[in-house]
Amino acid sequence: MAVATGSPAASRTRRPLTLDAIVRNVLVGLFVALMVVFILGPLLWLGVRAFAGTWTYPNLLPDDWTLRWWQVVVNDGALGIAVQNSLFFAPVTVLVSAVICLPAAYAFARFDFPGRRFFLISLFATNAFPKMGLFVTLAALFYALNLMNTVLGILVVHVLGTVVFMTWIPAAAFAAVPRNLEEAARDAGASKLRVFTSVTLPMALPGIIVAAVMSFLASFDEAQGTYLVGAPAFMTMPTQMYSLVLNYPTQVAAVFSILLAIPSVALMLAAHKHILGGQLAEGFQIK
Amino acid sequence: MTTTLQKPAELQKTVPPAGATRPKRLGQRAVGFFMALPPILLIAIFVGFPIVLAFGFSIGLTGGLNHTIATIGQNVHEAEAWWGTFAAYQEMFTNKRFLGDLLLTVIVTVVSTATVIFLAMGIGLYLKLKGGRMARLLSGLAIVPLFIPVVIASWAILTFYSGTGFLRSVFALVGVDFPVWAFTMVTVIIGSVWTSLPFAVLMVSSGLQSVPNAMIEAARDAGAGTLRTIVSVIVPMAAVPIIIATTFTAIGIVGSFTVPYFTGPNSPNMLGVDMSNYFSSFNQPQQSAVMAFTVFLIASGIAALYVWANFRSAKEQGKV
Repeated sequence: MAVATGSPAASRTRRPLTLDAIVRNVLVGLFVALMVVFILGPLLWLGVRAFAGTWTYPNLLPDDWTLRWWQVVVNDGALGIAVQNSLFFAPVTVLVSAVICLPAAYAFARFDFPGRRFFLISLFATNAFPKMGLFVTLAALFYALNLMNTVLGILVVHVLGTVVFMTWIPAAAFAAVPRNLEEAARDAGASKLRVFTSVTLPMALPGIIVAAVMSFLASFDEAQGTYLVGAPAFMTMPTQMYSLVLNYPTQVAAVFSILLAIPSVALMLAAHKHILGGQLAEGFQIK
Repeated sequence: MTTTLQKPAELQKTVPPAGATRPKRLGQRAVGFFMALPPILLIAIFVGFPIVLAFGFSIGLTGGLNHTIATIGQNVHEAEAWWGTFAAYQEMFTNKRFLGDLLLTVIVTVVSTATVIFLAMGIGLYLKLKGGRMARLLSGLAIVPLFIPVVIASWAILTFYSGTGFLRSVFALVGVDFPVWAFTMVTVIIGSVWTSLPFAVLMVSSGLQSVPNAMIEAARDAGAGTLRTIVSVIVPMAAVPIIIATTFTAIGIVGSFTVPYFTGPNSPNMLGVDMSNYFSSFNQPQQSAVMAFTVFLIASGIAALYVWANFRSAKEQGKV
């Protein structure tokens, strides 16, 4: 599938610099500038706040700088526990989700079985139903099953949010592995397991990594369901954000936001080549 | 990438593999079925079943597993007949606040989705037709929100457009009193666009990139202008990814909670926030369920479009 940086169709026809071209370039430049403000502006505005002492409106920078808010966050026990909880739930969610979903992803890519289409579409149901509505309906069942305020209950909520990623994206990746490569390995005498571990899996790995990253972040960012099912017994970083914004100075919330964004940014940067390379886009087309 | 259903059949016609006998294929089908089962069961138990249960609750069937929630909740309409009652729906659909919020939800969804797709198309087409550093910068920028948790994004956007936010500060320095957008529907739309942009851009630009350059050049050689080439060659060929991007964006926004909760007004607001308020603050779970099913109805309408687009693409690829 095409990569975002593909060769443009018209790059070799260089037009002379006319008034028309200048106007067009100015318009493009203006649009880019607007996009920079629109996308990055809020993040920078928030980031600066984490180091701000006092800030007088309408100055564009704070009056003085301080690291005191970072100390507040580090010394606050509740916030520390939230960090711990988040770092527990996200990896466990990815693991559980992988165990449940990856075999299914392989099956969707390689086997034709009755109900395949129906299965693929019913996975989509988790995305079509409004999340808040889903958690509201889930609450009734969780009360009945005694899953409210339990680790298992939160895990169920988190894993539910990852099923689509963990099934669709690896399925597309498995499907993209050429069958004749696998058959060639079989002809050369490799066992089925050997073919899978040394041909299929390595070739599908980028897709699986993208799925794992997206799942990790889905769990790490999940707030509504965790709040409904887990609060106040289990607070994660995003659910802590809800109360933080109301009960703490804005600077503390800003520091916490930066902390919460670190894993996301790190993981995304690590996998961005595959995500931009079409693994994500490929996964969302049911075949 | 079309390795799907059709491939095995084709292979077996041309190259009969040594051990592919009928019972084995049957066995493979069973293996496939059981391998695919776990996530389906998970969805069935924790999504499908609760939805059925909640639908029963919304039409006043308060027995069985719904008993606890019906006892806790207030203002619950109970059915007298076995087929239920639409009293809760009747109550909500004559409730002015709900109807206003429903309309608002639809408007926010339409406006935000249109903006997102417009931007994604613009960026995607620029990348395809022009390329260069500027185009890569633009598409890179559009992906940034993917890196940021929605909770943080919502809050960052709120402070950016607040009374003491960046925009107001900049305009105040030149003596203009800029309106406060925080806690209005403007920030809800801005936030929705912000958070939905990366997926749409990835999807749309991936679709546009896969249009063969030869086709575009052929259209140009035949005398078609840029606009004509876009409208009658590029967009039709990338229609499926564009539809997928549109439906996913719309579904995401119609049921969104965090963005409107953080950045929107208390009332009127989107149904995601209403749902949560009715459930937790007002303790009226049945009314909350009615809202969930209203949003679900809208979402499933959009989802049908998605499924249709996918089937069409699978069919086309099958024929190739």
